[in-house]
Amino acid sequence: MAHLLQQLLTDTARALPNAVAVECEEESLTYAELDRLSNSLARALLTCGVARGDRVGILARKSASSVVAVYAALKAGACHVPLDPGSPGERLAMIVGDSGIVVLLADEANAGRARELAEAASPDCRVISMDPRECSESSAALPAEGSDTELAYMLYTSGSTGVPKGVMISHRAALTFVEWAAACVRLTPEDRVCSPAPLHFDLSVFDIFSACRAGACTVLLPPLTSMFPVRLAEWIQTQRVTVWYSVPSVLTMLASHGNLQARDLGGLRAVIFAGEVFPAKHLSLLMRQLPGARFLNWYGPTETNVCTWYEVAHSATPLTAPVPIGRPCDGVDVFAVTADGSRVSAAGQEGELHVGGPGLMSGYWGLPERTREVMVPNPLAEGGAPVYRTGDIVTLDEGGNYVFLGRRDGMVKTRGYRVELGEVETVLYEHPAVREAVVLPVPDEMLGNRLRAVVCAGEELSREEVLEHCRRRLPAYMVPDTIEFAEYLPRTSTGKVDRVLLSDAKPASR
Amino acid sequence: MDDAVIRDYISRELVRDPAILPLENSTPLLDSGVVDSLGLLRLVVFIQDQFGIVMDDLDVVPEHFASVDAICAYLRSRPDYAAAEQPEDARA
Repeated sequence: MAHLLQQLLTDTARALPNAVAVECEEESLTYAELDRLSNSLARALLTCGVARGDRVGILARKSASSVVAVYAALKAGACHVPLDPGSPGERLAMIVGDSGIVVLLADEANAGRARELAEAASPDCRVISMDPRECSESSAALPAEGSDTELAYMLYTSGSTGVPKGVMISHRAALTFVEWAAACVRLTPEDRVCSPAPLHFDLSVFDIFSACRAGACTVLLPPLTSMFPVRLAEWIQTQRVTVWYSVPSVLTMLASHGNLQARDLGGLRAVIFAGEVFPAKHLSLLMRQLPGARFLNWYGPTETNVCTWYEVAHSATPLTAPVPIGRPCDGVDVFAVTADGSRVSAAGQEGELHVGGPGLMSGYWGLPERTREVMVPNPLAEGGAPVYRTGDIVTLDEGGNYVFLGRRDGMVKTRGYRVELGEVETVLYEHPAVREAVVLPVPDEMLGNRLRAVVCAGEELSREEVLEHCRRRLPAYMVPDTIEFAEYLPRTSTGKVDRVLLSDAKPASR
Repeated sequence: MDDAVIRDYISRELVRDPAILPLENSTPLLDSGVVDSLGLLRLVVFIQDQFGIVMDDLDVVPEHFASVDAICAYLRSRPDYAAAEQPEDARA
C-alpha cells in the first residue's frame, strides 16, 4: 500500500498504463503519460534546486498540466501549495511570502503574475512553466523517498485575524482520506469522476487522488460550464460522468435550472456534496430527477478532511430538514463534547465536534500558538494524541447520526468557501476612512450566506470605494455582497457590537 | 440605449477589477471573469426586471452572455422584448 501520495500514480501507471487518467476538453493523458510527464517536471524542479520539504507553488487553473504539476511537486519531495489564480495579488503575495515558496509552477495565462510574485517574494524564488513541451528533462522514474509524516500540500484558508493561514497536510493525512473515499464511493477503473472544485479547495483531493487510486478517469470541467446549468447537464451526459463531487450550490442550480427532464443522466451513479448545508428542498428536487444515483453528504473542515459521512436514502416523501452529517468515516475518531465537558451520547444533546486520528492536519504553517488553540489534548481521555476542535456545534439524532447545528465562532460558509468574518472586517478597517465596520452573514438558499457589511465612515466614502478596497485585498467570495453605511454601530451592554440587533434590522437597500 | 443600461449595471455592480473599465459593448464578460456564477444570477434577474421578460433556463447559455453586444442580440431575438422607450433625440 502506498505511503506517499505520488505512489498512487506510479502504482496505477504500472497496472493500467493505457487507461485515461485525465481528460480536459480536447486534451487527455493516460496514466503512463501522466507518470512520465510528472517525472520530467519533477526533475526540472530538482535541477532548480528544490529539496525535500520545500514548498512549490502552483498558480494555474485546473487542467491536465496542473495535475502533472501536482504530481511533479510530490515526486520532487516538495510540499505543493495550490494558489487561487482568482485571488488579488496582495493576498497571493502574502501566501507566497508566508509559505516560503521556492519555485512557482505557472501555466501560460498566469506566467506574468507568477514572475511578479516571485520577484516580490525573494531573489531566490524561481518560476517554471508547467507546459510539458518546455521541459526537456528525462522522464525516468524517481525513487519514492520520505516519511508519510512529511507534508504533501498546504491549503490556505481564511484566518480570523486578517491573515490567511496555511493548513499543513501530510501524506499520511491525505492518504487516510483518499483511501477511505475511493472505498466509500466504490470507485473502479470504469468510473469517470468530476469535481468542479479548484486545486486550492480540498474537495479536489478526491478527483485528483482518489480517482488515481482506483485507476478511474478524472474529467475536468471546462471553465464557465458550471455557471450555466443547462450546459452543465448536457456536459455531464455527453462526458458520461459517473461520480460528481461539489459544493451544494452548483447542484442546487443544476436541480432548479438544469432542465434535467430533457437529459439522460442515468450514468451518474454517485452525487457527493460537501462544504455547506444542502437546502432540503433542492436536494429533494435533485434526488427526484436522479433516481438511480447514490447521494452522499460528506462533512469535514480542511484541517481534518472528510471525517463523517451520510448516505441519503431515496424516499417518496420530500426532505423537510437538512440531512445529517452522519457517522464517522472508518479509522477516524469523532466525538462531540458538551459545554460541561462530557461526551455527547444521547439524541438531542449538543456539543462541539472533535476529530482525532491519522487524517488530521499537522498544524498551521508558522503558527504554533494558533495550532495549539485548535489541536487540543483529548478532553475525554488522559494522554494520547491531540484532537482537532472543529468549532462546529452538533447534536445526535435518533439514528446515531451527527447533525450540524451551527458555528461556535465568526466563521461562515459562502459558496462552499470558509470565510472568517473577522478577516473581512480587518480589511475594512484598513481603509483610512473606515471608523467602524462589522460583517454579518445573511442566509441565502443558493449561496449558503451572503456577506453584508455595515460601515461607519469618518468622512465621505462611497460604496464603490469600499468595494474597490475589498476587491484589491480579498478573493471574490470574501468581498461583501452588500455595503451599508451607519452613523454608529449598536453595542451590547458588554460593549461588543450587537450583531443580533444588526442582523434583525432590515437591511437597507443597496 | 439598452446597451448603455446593461453596461452601466455591469460596470457598477459586477466589475471587480477597475482596470477593465470603461466597459465596451464587445468586452468579453465571461472569459475575463467580469461575470462569475453569482454575477450571472444577478445579471439574469436584472435583465428580466429591466426589460420585462422571463428568461427560459435554456436561454441561459454562454453565447447570450459573452458580451454586452451578445446580451443585446439575444434581447432583440425575443419577440416580447421592447427596446426601452427613448426620445428620438436621445437616440442620436
